[in-house]
Amino acid sequence: MGYTLVICEKPDAARRVSDALSGGAAGSSVVEGAVVYRFRRGEEEFVVCSAQGHVYGVSDPLEERSVYPVFDFEWYPSDLVDEKSAGAANRIVAIRKLASGASKFVNACDFDVEGETIGFNLLRYACGGKEGAALRAKFSTLAQEDLSRAFDHLELQAGQGRARAGRARHAIDFVWGVNLSRALSQSALSSGHRYRTVSMGRVQGPTLEFLGRREREIRQFIPVPYWKVSGIFKKDGESLTAAYSREKVEAKAIAEGVRIACLRKEAVATAVRKSVVQVGPPAPFNIGDLQKEAYKSFGYTPSRTLQIAERLYLGALISYPRTGSQRLPPTINYAGIIRGIGKIPGYSTDAAELLKGELKPVQGSKSDAAHPAIHPTGERPRRALDASESAIFDLVVRRYLAAFGPSARREIADASLVVEGHEFRVGGGRTVFPGWMKYYGRYAGYRDVQLPSVSEGDEFLTSEVVVEEKFEQRPSRYNQSSLLEKMEREEIGTKATRAEIIATLVSRGYVGGDSMEVTDLGLAVLEMMAKYAPSVVGTRLTRDIEEKLEDVECGSGEEAALLRETVRTLAGQLAELGLNEEAVGREIDSAQMKTVTRSFVLGGCPVCKKGELRVVRSKTTKKRFVGCSNYKSGCRASAPLPQRGTIRATAKSCERCFWPVVYVLGGGRPWRLCVNPDCPGKRKS
Amino acid sequence: MKCLICGREAVSDLCTYHTEARDKVKGAYPLWVKAYGRMEWKDYLDNVKRNVQTGQWAKEIAEFLQGV
Repeated sequence: MGYTLVICEKPDAARRVSDALSGGAAGSSVVEGAVVYRFRRGEEEFVVCSAQGHVYGVSDPLEERSVYPVFDFEWYPSDLVDEKSAGAANRIVAIRKLASGASKFVNACDFDVEGETIGFNLLRYACGGKEGAALRAKFSTLAQEDLSRAFDHLELQAGQGRARAGRARHAIDFVWGVNLSRALSQSALSSGHRYRTVSMGRVQGPTLEFLGRREREIRQFIPVPYWKVSGIFKKDGESLTAAYSREKVEAKAIAEGVRIACLRKEAVATAVRKSVVQVGPPAPFNIGDLQKEAYKSFGYTPSRTLQIAERLYLGALISYPRTGSQRLPPTINYAGIIRGIGKIPGYSTDAAELLKGELKPVQGSKSDAAHPAIHPTGERPRRALDASESAIFDLVVRRYLAAFGPSARREIADASLVVEGHEFRVGGGRTVFPGWMKYYGRYAGYRDVQLPSVSEGDEFLTSEVVVEEKFEQRPSRYNQSSLLEKMEREEIGTKATRAEIIATLVSRGYVGGDSMEVTDLGLAVLEMMAKYAPSVVGTRLTRDIEEKLEDVECGSGEEAALLRETVRTLAGQLAELGLNEEAVGREIDSAQMKTVTRSFVLGGCPVCKKGELRVVRSKTTKKRFVGCSNYKSGCRASAPLPQRGTIRATAKSCERCFWPVVYVLGGGRPWRLCVNPDCPGKRKS
Repeated sequence: MKCLICGREAVSDLCTYHTEARDKVKGAYPLWVKAYGRMEWKDYLDNVKRNVQTGQWAKEIAEFLQGV
């Protein structure tokens, strides 16, 4: 009789599972470089090992990497597909060795599409076709109680639909990405003088299209003027400011007319409205909500938040983060978790207060069959958390506590003041009962604005009328958080992949870092795709595939048919791209050059006011410095630059001297630098 | 044919982006005239060019139209 082989997704998870099931008594050894745990649980002997994320990947059997179209693919050990996955081979050998002595197999990878795919592939390829016979351990946290319960209730073939959907998604994304990326890269190579990977993925295309559409609106924007009118009203020595009822007055003459008509005239308070509104607690976190809140509160990118949340999950501090659910089922032991939180410094008062009442959390509308909303486990951190981990942990804990808090009450008041037939409005609001806001702390985000002390019939003197010229604001660029929200709304990508797709757009040079400004290269790629392969950048096809993948996951769809359909669609688009390879290449190459050139431009020259200050490298010393593009016409503006690290333009000028400000990245923390060595802001007093 | 402003592939004299921007610059002129009561075309272009809210392609078009 052999042992039970448990396969986890990551080494940290294997350690947690072993600790939980053995009560900390598991022995460890190293097999082919991978740590393996052994212990007995009752009569049963367990061996726990782990993958390292995906150890199998999809690729084509061809050696030649520039050929397309490619519609044949196989699953290979990841080290043969991606050189960054060098450790995969050892993991596979280790698991194959361990499988030979096992009589029972348990898939304990994360219970979602990716985890199911990882477990399925290992059971099929490394364990000799055990994917059908293996048992499934289902858990949402790595806390002892949850893991023990999962292993007491192992299920047979619990997630086969997920594994099929996961494998189909990988295959579709491979076929999609490899063909379009090769088509674009070959086009660029055919007319350009340098090679650069120009990629395009199934979700990447529509996401870039959202950004590109907004970028075009911004670059073509014409601000239209309007006027904002406000009045200052006095009564018994007190004054209040109220805004004209028409927020935007479209003509200067009309605004001036209001000013002349109202100034020094009597205003009467006509409609005074006061009310108390209830504000319920926010829904528990799913991954998208957590990413948005972390961006708002700490400025963390969605991919960074996901990484931090995964570390906290592997430390058994929070539940599985890749969830779409906003619901907390009673099975998670509300009180036990709050009692645990109460033992962590900083939360004891709030936890004790909540434990006195009935524990009924607010529930959001979104659910996820695999996992509940993200919540703390109630375990205390066993190691010191770094600043970012502490921040996300605090956010998750406070959101969980807030879910049990009562509704807050806010008093809202507004009044109308009428002068010569013109209406002005004033309003305010304040929290009269904090409810859940107390537990959510600084993340609650409600500000108090002083309420106007006005009663109906009160008379005021209009002492001043202010007319301000304004301009329509151009649309804002997406930030990483709002883009994530847009992807969710348009139902493209998955909760697990959206952050990664945004990061890829940045790393490919289609989008410039934090500002999410689409580069010339990004616009050119988008334009070429829209011209020759429009389905690729439209949302309809991608969303349609997502829906069909969900059908596969639920068991109502068939993956082979979906793959055939994808290949058929793609083949037509690739043929069109291939016919226009030269034109596509020319546009991309020229845009690539512009993007590179632009990355050296730091801003306008404050000395000659005609040229641009650029990063230049000296031909003799090879050192970089700032020089003016107007050098040949006599401008000698120049400045030294740090020789280490990456210089990134900020599009901002120094407030003191108007020279460009740059970011210097690399080594330690990024720092801002005004490039002018003689900037008055740098002089020591 | 190349776009007279940016060198990209042109529809007639300008690329699609700058053609659209030109339509927008021309389309917004009546709104500015209405807003200020009166405004000369060249003053309008000058204002559009100097406004910090104006998009990059629209600014390039304003400059281009000033030279025409």
